[in-house]
Amino acid sequence: MANYYDIDSILVEEEFVPVVFQKAINGVKIDESTEKGHVEQGSKTELPFWLAHELNMRQAVSIGVPACFNQKTRLEIQADAACVDLRSRCPYFYEFGCKLAPLCDKSIGLLLAYAFRIRYKEVLHKAHTTGFAAASKFLTLLTKEESYMYEAAQSSMAAFKKWRMGGPRLQRASILGRKRKPAE
Amino acid sequence: MAGQSDSNMSLFSPGEIEFMAGDELVEIVPNLRMDSLYFIRGDYGPFHPQLAAQVPLWLAVALKKRGKCTIRPPQWMSIDGRLLSPIFLIVFFVIFPPPGLENLAQVLELERDSHAFQPLPFHYLEISRLLFDHAREDIPDMYMVRSLTEDIRDVRFHKVETNLEKFTASTVTWKNMSAMEVNIIRAFAGRALQAFYKHDNEQQAPDTDRMLDKQPQIPTDRPKRNLKPR
Repeated sequence: MANYYDIDSILVEEEFVPVVFQKAINGVKIDESTEKGHVEQGSKTELPFWLAHELNMRQAVSIGVPACFNQKTRLEIQADAACVDLRSRCPYFYEFGCKLAPLCDKSIGLLLAYAFRIRYKEVLHKAHTTGFAAASKFLTLLTKEESYMYEAAQSSMAAFKKWRMGGPRLQRASILGRKRKPAE
Repeated sequence: MAGQSDSNMSLFSPGEIEFMAGDELVEIVPNLRMDSLYFIRGDYGPFHPQLAAQVPLWLAVALKKRGKCTIRPPQWMSIDGRLLSPIFLIVFFVIFPPPGLENLAQVLELERDSHAFQPLPFHYLEISRLLFDHAREDIPDMYMVRSLTEDIRDVRFHKVETNLEKFTASTVTWKNMSAMEVNIIRAFAGRALQAFYKHDNEQQAPDTDRMLDKQPQIPTDRPKRNLKPR
């Protein structure tokens, strides 16, 4: 599933996570405004996931729960998962969650599965029924993975409709070929 | 086997499905005399005028285009038992409908009533489309047949959607889905199943591979594993 060259799985790791430093580290500045050339133990910052993950493995930082999985989002998802604007929170909501779950909070896995199950139905309905114009508003709520799914469904449905309508569809009325109505 | 039209997604286009449906056998009544044709798939013919012969659909369509035959629509493609035209047969079949001799009206009824898909030919959409396009005058009650197949298609596709709603990562068994129906949902269902699978596994056995790549990083002074003596 995770392809080495998959641009999406690279971009997932660019998402920021809040971290707390467990060790004091010399020669590092978290941001330019600080005068000191070292990081103290217990200082907080946000790092991209790939860096936070590496540091976490070396027990240098502990990873917190990022904003897209906080309590507020959880409540919204529990209320009505289909209407939550996940794209603006994190375009790689599911993939990011999967990577994050074992590191900070196992219950994210449950949340993801729940959210996906509800939102999947919505995608399914919209993909096969709505026209393109009406769908664009709905599309802005979807995460990357969901919009791939949506596009897959839409394009195969569109291809099918094209096939059904295309080709020699011209019909000749049966009455035209005959000179007159046969006596019945 | 994968479709040629879309290289990276290995999907079939509807046109390719139609091409595959060309291999289905249909009965034609030729009006020419011709020797047997020897194909990789088998030998067809010899053809004698007014004697019915079984040929692949693509051949039937090709002959039909040149006006060399009439195509007998397949058994299922009738709105009642009318293909066996004598009136007493109709009466007979209405009273004792033989198994497997279902017609489209009946199929539509059954399709509406039950949750399961009714057995129809795997390529029913493609076959009916090809015949509607090329052999319109050979199908009795063409308009009725066409609207019935459209209705059946709609009902079945609605059923596909309701089934998709109940989708989970567990095994999925839907019998009697046709080629085109499968193809419409192929890309979508594939992705959805993959996601469901991922999320369900996430809950049960989290991060086996993350554990694995964690191990070399943490310095441990475990004793070396004893090799199995040969």
